[in-house]
Amino acid sequence: MLQKLENIEQEAMRALVNIQSEEELQKLSQQYLGKNGELTQVLKGLGQLEPDDRRNVGQMANKVKTSLSEQIDNKRISLSDSAPVLDFPPDLTAPGISPKSGGLHPITQMSYDLNDAFHSLGFVIFSEDEITSELFAFDNLNFPPDHPARETMDTFWIKGTEDKRGADRLCLRPHLTGASVRFLRKYGAPARFVYPGRVYRNESTDARHERAFFQYEALIVEKDFPFASGHLLIDTILEKIFGRKVNTRMRAGFFPFVEPGFEIDMECQVCGGDGCRVCKNVGWIEVMPGGTPHPNVLKEAGLDPEEWSGFYINIGLDRLVMMRYGVDDVRLFHSGDLRFLSQFR
Amino acid sequence: MKISLQWINDYVDLSDIAPEELAHELTMRTVEVEDIRYQELAYDKVVVGKIMEILPHPQADKLLITIVDVGEAEPYRIVCGGCNLYEGQRVVVALPGSYVRWHGQGEPVLIKKTKLRGEPSCGMICASEELELDELFPASREAEIMDLKDFDFPAGMPISEALQLNDVILEIDNKSLTNRPDLWGHYGIARELSVIFQRNLMPVADFVLDSSLEDNEHSLPVTIESPKRCSRYAGLVFSGLDSRPAPHWMRVRLAAAGITPHNALIDITNYVMMTTGCPTHGFDRRFVNKELIIREARKGETLELLDDTFLQLTAEDLVICDTSEPMALAGVKGGKKDSLHDDTTEMVLEVAVFDPLSIRHTAQRFNVRTEASTRYEKGIDTQRVDISIALACQLLVQLFPEAQLLGYQDAVATTTSQAKIDVSLAALSKSLGRKVDYKQVSTLLFALGFTVQRVDEDILNVVAPSWRSTGDVSLFCDIVEEVARIIGYENFDFIPPTVTLEKAIKQDGFDLERRVREYLAFRCDFREIFTYPWTADDLIAAAGVEAEIELAQPPAPDQSRLRPSLVPGLIGNVRGNLRFQDEIKVFEMAQIFLSGETSPSDPAEIFPVQKLNLAGAIAADEDQGLYIFREVKGLIAQLPDYAGSEQLTFQNISPPVWADKDVWLNIIGQGESIGSLGLLSSKVKNAVGIKRTQVAVFELDMTKLTPQPTRGHEYRPLPHYPLVEEDFAMIVEEKVTWEQVREIVEPMVKELTYVEEYRGSQIPAGKKSLLFHVLLGSDEGTLSSDQIAGKRGAIVKQLSKKLGAELRQ
Repeated sequence: MLQKLENIEQEAMRALVNIQSEEELQKLSQQYLGKNGELTQVLKGLGQLEPDDRRNVGQMANKVKTSLSEQIDNKRISLSDSAPVLDFPPDLTAPGISPKSGGLHPITQMSYDLNDAFHSLGFVIFSEDEITSELFAFDNLNFPPDHPARETMDTFWIKGTEDKRGADRLCLRPHLTGASVRFLRKYGAPARFVYPGRVYRNESTDARHERAFFQYEALIVEKDFPFASGHLLIDTILEKIFGRKVNTRMRAGFFPFVEPGFEIDMECQVCGGDGCRVCKNVGWIEVMPGGTPHPNVLKEAGLDPEEWSGFYINIGLDRLVMMRYGVDDVRLFHSGDLRFLSQFR
Repeated sequence: MKISLQWINDYVDLSDIAPEELAHELTMRTVEVEDIRYQELAYDKVVVGKIMEILPHPQADKLLITIVDVGEAEPYRIVCGGCNLYEGQRVVVALPGSYVRWHGQGEPVLIKKTKLRGEPSCGMICASEELELDELFPASREAEIMDLKDFDFPAGMPISEALQLNDVILEIDNKSLTNRPDLWGHYGIARELSVIFQRNLMPVADFVLDSSLEDNEHSLPVTIESPKRCSRYAGLVFSGLDSRPAPHWMRVRLAAAGITPHNALIDITNYVMMTTGCPTHGFDRRFVNKELIIREARKGETLELLDDTFLQLTAEDLVICDTSEPMALAGVKGGKKDSLHDDTTEMVLEVAVFDPLSIRHTAQRFNVRTEASTRYEKGIDTQRVDISIALACQLLVQLFPEAQLLGYQDAVATTTSQAKIDVSLAALSKSLGRKVDYKQVSTLLFALGFTVQRVDEDILNVVAPSWRSTGDVSLFCDIVEEVARIIGYENFDFIPPTVTLEKAIKQDGFDLERRVREYLAFRCDFREIFTYPWTADDLIAAAGVEAEIELAQPPAPDQSRLRPSLVPGLIGNVRGNLRFQDEIKVFEMAQIFLSGETSPSDPAEIFPVQKLNLAGAIAADEDQGLYIFREVKGLIAQLPDYAGSEQLTFQNISPPVWADKDVWLNIIGQGESIGSLGLLSSKVKNAVGIKRTQVAVFELDMTKLTPQPTRGHEYRPLPHYPLVEEDFAMIVEEKVTWEQVREIVEPMVKELTYVEEYRGSQIPAGKKSLLFHVLLGSDEGTLSSDQIAGKRGAIVKQLSKKLGAELRQ
């Protein structure tokens, strides 16, 4: 009998080794430990044995039962731990599932990036309405009446006011600069502020020209602010847009509302300054005007030009965003075409 | 403006400096040079040829075979279709490897050895237009080749050398010149370069006017009747003239500067203008009746122009008249009769200064822009008349040795007063951010034509030259600019600005705008779009909105109206994008324009109402109507929590014009309607051609959203005892609303969630099945199954009693 028990144990252990699944394990458990299992049968038959044998066989059978149960439990844990999480062979080259694809307009994205940078320098944000008057678009900004410079900005006048003058002649703003006077009148100086927004010019459109486009203007008004400090504004903008330091140069330029006035050029990002088709072989690209606010503008803003000076810059956001991403048609920004917009995540 | 460097070199010797460097320095310090053009590059391998023999072409009547000496060992055989060929003729030959412009048009074409109608041809005998020389050598008929009969050049001589086409031309951006009337002639640019490179500047001319000729019997009396519009007018009478051409060098220079050469007299008037920047004009003495009067035109007077058209003059126009009639539109255009003619032998030369605004208005009224009007409208100083007279006289004497100045009269109404500015060296140094001293400042300003007198250690009396005193220079900051630009902006080191820290920036309004945009984009999966503020009439009509603010000159006739709502633009956008995709979620935040009167900033300005609006649309399959409506409703309802504003609710107050009559709601904020949402009506969709698609739209007034000063979340303690989830499917009449169900169930449960409405074959007609989900629980302990069943039963009972609902089995 003892021999039989030994055989049962050995047989069960051998079978256990080859078991691969929970089902087989269950079957094995039934086979030996179940109600009619082999080991159970032995234990059930103990009563028919001689008392001495009964004791020996009983001890042995219990030992085998305990051991076998333990082994089966261990096997069960090990089978469970090594169970695969998928019940089929997975194709891991299948593409990932995209997150939601909504997003901000690329101009808004850049504008917010710039706001964050200027916030960190202590600049506040300002905005004015899109319809303004000749008073703020030109008169306050030291554009002499009928000066040719007014004509370089073909303005959309509002019907019914086009033949009037000054505050009564309304237009879609041709630039943002008028807002600087509004801000300074309201909040005074010293001042550090940016005023991003959309401006409008009545000209014909092509891949490089739009009737509606975005500008980003920044102005510091301080006492005794040397123009050489204005580089801070220029570098902040260009580094934010291009992600790295961009070489710039300031050169003589004329804008009625600044004196001295600059054209600010940046090194061509296509050729790195060597000269190419994009920069017309000069290595530099004109990116923004800048300068010290003209005394007449400061006067209109209610400030004493003897006391206050500062620095102003204005960039065409569309153009820089185009350069940043290599967009070849400015009209795409107002196209509303989701095939274009969805590229900017 | 085109600047010839040879011309510049007459006044300042820069021959040892590379054109690139000149262009760079001018760009950095004065005006932008857009391009540098080397004339001779266009004439590479283009040489003088001498026709030795002309043979008929065996295959073509209109072609000839020429044997041409081009200065090489063997003559070239060239097939040519020219109509004016003769043996011994000197012509211009484009050798293989050169470029010509075919019939003067299109891109330059490379010349190669070829065969023409079977005959080999090596090169091309050129017409003037093919080398862009038609201004210098105008052809009198078609197929006329350029005949160098007036020149004795050896065969083989490069044409650039022979015809002095070896100049370098700087193309200057006119926009950068608008404030510098002194730079509209070569002399002004020469002056700038002389300062930048510290070279000597020659005088314009050394001719001295014989003052004994003033007001003599040969001179014409000059009367300025409108002294405000004409500050100075000199009339000089010359005899001994004819219509001979100007010498080649002058013709080449004028052509290089973009002026078409005519004859010597006209060329001289232009040459003076292109040197000093002061326009001049010649009248034929024969037709000037007794005197010169500068006055406003009288009503009914006309002026016949060179092209035989008549200008109807008004009192707003300034004219040059003789005793009988107007002869020229002052500073803009000459008349036909009194102009210089081929048989002119005596000339009255006008050298004058007119008021910029007057010239500008006249030029605008007649829609003419001439080289003269462009210069006058920038503002010319009266002193410039003197150098212009001197140069004109010098050139006349040089080109017409027999010419004689008979007499002149010079009327001066006002003299340009030179701007006087007190400059503090300390203030100058502070503005520049760098210390400058008297010597440096005075040297630099003196070279630019300023005079500088030292008052004391700090103060300088600076007087601007007259040519900078017509509006350009008048203030201290103008002097800052002069000093800074000549030192060179690149030579100033960056000075970090000093900072005062006051308080953190807090702009709740702008923050809210940004959070709303980010919420829609990143939480709600919308794409931000921008559309134009002018909106197409068909979209405005389709959306049914009223647009009253219009542009005087719209971008297109059907886009004159500014949007009173963002919805028309949004509908246009959805229609456009539906061509490429079926499901769309877009939004726009922008200003709208409504009639009304507001003065938000300056009381003098009365604006229409301008508001920042937010609008969005979802387009989806036809059967998704209610779902996308609920999506929009949900995103509006949740917007305050995510973006941080006061709560919003919904009511039916007034339907939006674009919405279906049954599917719309108004958005209520702080007790008033601030916007709407709804499904686009079939009428709107039909009008714009949106088919088989549902479009849910919302629009609200951003200015009515009140930002919360800080984050507005509320904390609720977590439940102490487990909650039990229960689902309900209740069959109710169609007219029963979720709102009614919610009012009953919400107080009975911990949380209530709408799942869906269901209609189907198992549901009786006129009824619907309403599915919702609740969480049950107690603050006192874990619910027993009896308690749960009790609560469930109570809910069903209440719904059944109040709404006639039945539990779906």
